[in-house]
Amino acid sequence: MNIQDNYLKNKKNIFFSENKDIQAHREKLINIFENDRFDKKNNESLKNINLKNFIDFNYKYQIPEETSVINTNQENSYSIVSLNGQCSSFKDDKIEITKILDEDYNDFSKNDIIENNDHFVNLNSLFLNSGFKIVIKKNNNIKIKILNIITDDDLTIFQKNNYICEEGSSLNLIEEYQNKNKSTSNILNVIKLEKNSQLNHFLIQDNSPNHNLMITTHSSCKKDSTYTQKVYNFSEGYVRNFHYSELIEANSEVDLQGIFFLKDNNTSNNKTFVKHLAEDCKSNQVYKGILNDRSKATYFSNTYVDQVAQKTEGYQLSKGILLSDNASYFSKPELKIYADDVKCSHGSTIGPIDENAIFYLRSRGMSKTAATKILISSFINEELSSIDNEQMSEIIQKKLVRYLSKVK
Amino acid sequence: MNSETLDTLDNYSKNKYKYGFVTDIDNEKPKKGLNEDTIKFISLKKNEPEWMLDWRLKAFSKWKKIKAPKWANLNFPEIDYQDIYYYSAPKGFDKKPKDLSEVDPKLIETYNKLGIPLEEQKVLAGVAVDVVFDSVSVATTYKGELEKLGIIFCSIGEAIQKYPDLIKKYLGSVIPAGDHSFSALNSAVFTDGSFVYIPEGVKCPMELSTYFRINAENTGQFERTLIIADKGSYVSYLEGCTAPKRDDNQLHAANVELIALEDAEIKYSTVQNWYPGDEDGKGGIYNFVTKRGLCAGKNSKISWTQVETGSAITWKYPSCILKGDNSIGEFYSVAITNNFQQADTGTKMTHIGKNTKSKIISKGISLGKSQNTYRGEVSFLRKADKARNYTQCDSLLVGNKCGAHTVPYIDSKNNTAVIEHEASTSKINEDQLYYCRQRGLSHEEAVSLIVNGFCKQVLQELPMEFAVEAQKLVSISLEGSVG
Repeated sequence: MNIQDNYLKNKKNIFFSENKDIQAHREKLINIFENDRFDKKNNESLKNINLKNFIDFNYKYQIPEETSVINTNQENSYSIVSLNGQCSSFKDDKIEITKILDEDYNDFSKNDIIENNDHFVNLNSLFLNSGFKIVIKKNNNIKIKILNIITDDDLTIFQKNNYICEEGSSLNLIEEYQNKNKSTSNILNVIKLEKNSQLNHFLIQDNSPNHNLMITTHSSCKKDSTYTQKVYNFSEGYVRNFHYSELIEANSEVDLQGIFFLKDNNTSNNKTFVKHLAEDCKSNQVYKGILNDRSKATYFSNTYVDQVAQKTEGYQLSKGILLSDNASYFSKPELKIYADDVKCSHGSTIGPIDENAIFYLRSRGMSKTAATKILISSFINEELSSIDNEQMSEIIQKKLVRYLSKVK
Repeated sequence: MNSETLDTLDNYSKNKYKYGFVTDIDNEKPKKGLNEDTIKFISLKKNEPEWMLDWRLKAFSKWKKIKAPKWANLNFPEIDYQDIYYYSAPKGFDKKPKDLSEVDPKLIETYNKLGIPLEEQKVLAGVAVDVVFDSVSVATTYKGELEKLGIIFCSIGEAIQKYPDLIKKYLGSVIPAGDHSFSALNSAVFTDGSFVYIPEGVKCPMELSTYFRINAENTGQFERTLIIADKGSYVSYLEGCTAPKRDDNQLHAANVELIALEDAEIKYSTVQNWYPGDEDGKGGIYNFVTKRGLCAGKNSKISWTQVETGSAITWKYPSCILKGDNSIGEFYSVAITNNFQQADTGTKMTHIGKNTKSKIISKGISLGKSQNTYRGEVSFLRKADKARNYTQCDSLLVGNKCGAHTVPYIDSKNNTAVIEHEASTSKINEDQLYYCRQRGLSHEEAVSLIVNGFCKQVLQELPMEFAVEAQKLVSISLEGSVG
């Protein structure tokens, strides 16, 4: 079924369909889809994507029978099980969890650049059917762990989550995606960091081959705030990780890290877009990929430095290892700089595992497979050892061992 | 900073754009506009055989179907192709002059002003110059000596008459007419350009050189250059460009095709100094150039070196298709933009054969209110085993109203190929500036010295005659915007 039919048929189940402004915006989006037809030639971000799955699909959503659980075992620590993108409301003196409201719809989604470029965010706006909003109150230090579960087969989840970190607060957010059923999730996270706040965002993705996951994150950082994102992608299904960042006030920082492990016929699309809009801001991006079998990956990186953003430091690094003849990696690290007092750089390498290093290890009695595994582990060791959460570190190590067991 | 550079700086600041004079010669033009009649007119004027006209008309029909590329980071009004003269030849050129004495003395004077006195240059520099004045090749010097070695160096018009087999085989083989809008346009209306053929095993003993110059107002210049290096041969080719000062924007859409067969090497150097427009961004050349080289044979090598200082708009991507095993592609570029200039330039290295290597060194300098973009693509196809690429692109920003952008596309489909890319953007290092100032250099001298050092890696790739000129050009381009 095409996009328009899906929309007209399921209008009743979609969030905010009574709001006239939102309705008008959605009609505009449908028009864009009609005219643009997901033009792969002129929209690089669609590279390597099997579009058929996303243009012709059957919309299906189910409100979960059970409500989600919020646990507070330890002080300042919350664990949430979100079912089909829903989370029940909760309130104490540190955090507040609510449903998303009409006014949250406009955040990030209504924006010329996105409307014309990122059709997956447009799809999200069009079919929005779940999501929640978490506010971290002033000067609190909070840990939240969210486990995302989809209850049935063939569901299409279009979820929008808003996170607001109030002044001086700090949030450690761990999100896990482990879906075994045949379904599609299109998730948009909109994150607002107030003055002097901090958010450490961990995403562990480990879905089965039938599950398509698209995560788009937008963060806007005010004065002295820091956003850190670490994505570990072990999924066997399609994953799209896009991140948009805006450094809107001085001395804010964004630190993005992504590591993906691909095999079989899998595809992963990654994009980061960092906008430096104020002075003294920093950005750092490190993306690493290991590609085996017939897997494909793309990485688009864009650092934009506005004319007023003097004293900017912006660094990008992308590295790819191709383990097989049929794997391919495309990277486009872009710099757009309009201010002169800046330090910006990017580096990008793609290649096989260093033969000399393999030779060194083999000459010391190691098999080729063992040597390869050691070198892959060391390739990402810097990032793995920087994880300060022991539990997380263990989970990732386990998944890494599982991935390496398939490497020959 | 030597006194010579300073003198030149002085001279140029007084003269502004020195080459901005117009030679007053009657021009013979067809009507304005692009249609089949214009193409037939050009073909007739050039006395071309029928197959060439057909080729042009085919390209024209393709052009009508293709839209101009929009992806470049350039901002300019839509080009009105119907408001341009597509052919302009000084009158009395129907019969070609046999030697320089038969050429209009005014023309010779023009070149003297440009600093390439043909007579002198013959003796002094050992450079054979094929001068293109607007669209017709004026005189080809040093022909005799080259002929002895079997080297063909003539205008493309002449080659169409004399060597139809070579033209039929190679013209459009690297840049097909339907490749994109500008290549189709050029294929339809190209008027002149150079043709070089180096036979098997011959090392061309001198640097071949062409000077292009747009003279008549509202004339697009569409030259087409074709260089073929047969097995085991070597040639170094220089190209220089200058245009008079005009308020209108002029269009320049050239196509350059290089073909290197087995073990052959081609070195192509350009110093581009078209009129960049004035301080307010008025006028200037629109430079849309397609340059592409094919390393067809094993162990062949193509090397591009460019110094881009002129043009209001530069859209130029000299690229290499590395088809033969062990072939090598190189790209060295300095692009300087000042005032309201916009440059979107870079390269494309396509690795097809095994053990192919490519190297890209690009230096961009933005001043004033200009925008400077490096756009480069490196791709390894599935069979490019053990291919290797190294890319370095650095940008320097002077002032906070300009922009420097880097847009690399990196695509690897082979797991034995290694690709490395690094880029940096910064302003001039304060410590270096302080060091120079401390030793008595003025601010402007210091900046000029640092910028020259920044470009050194590329400038040293240029042949001797060009290197000196290029170094001066770099200093001149910085003029007035520093401090």
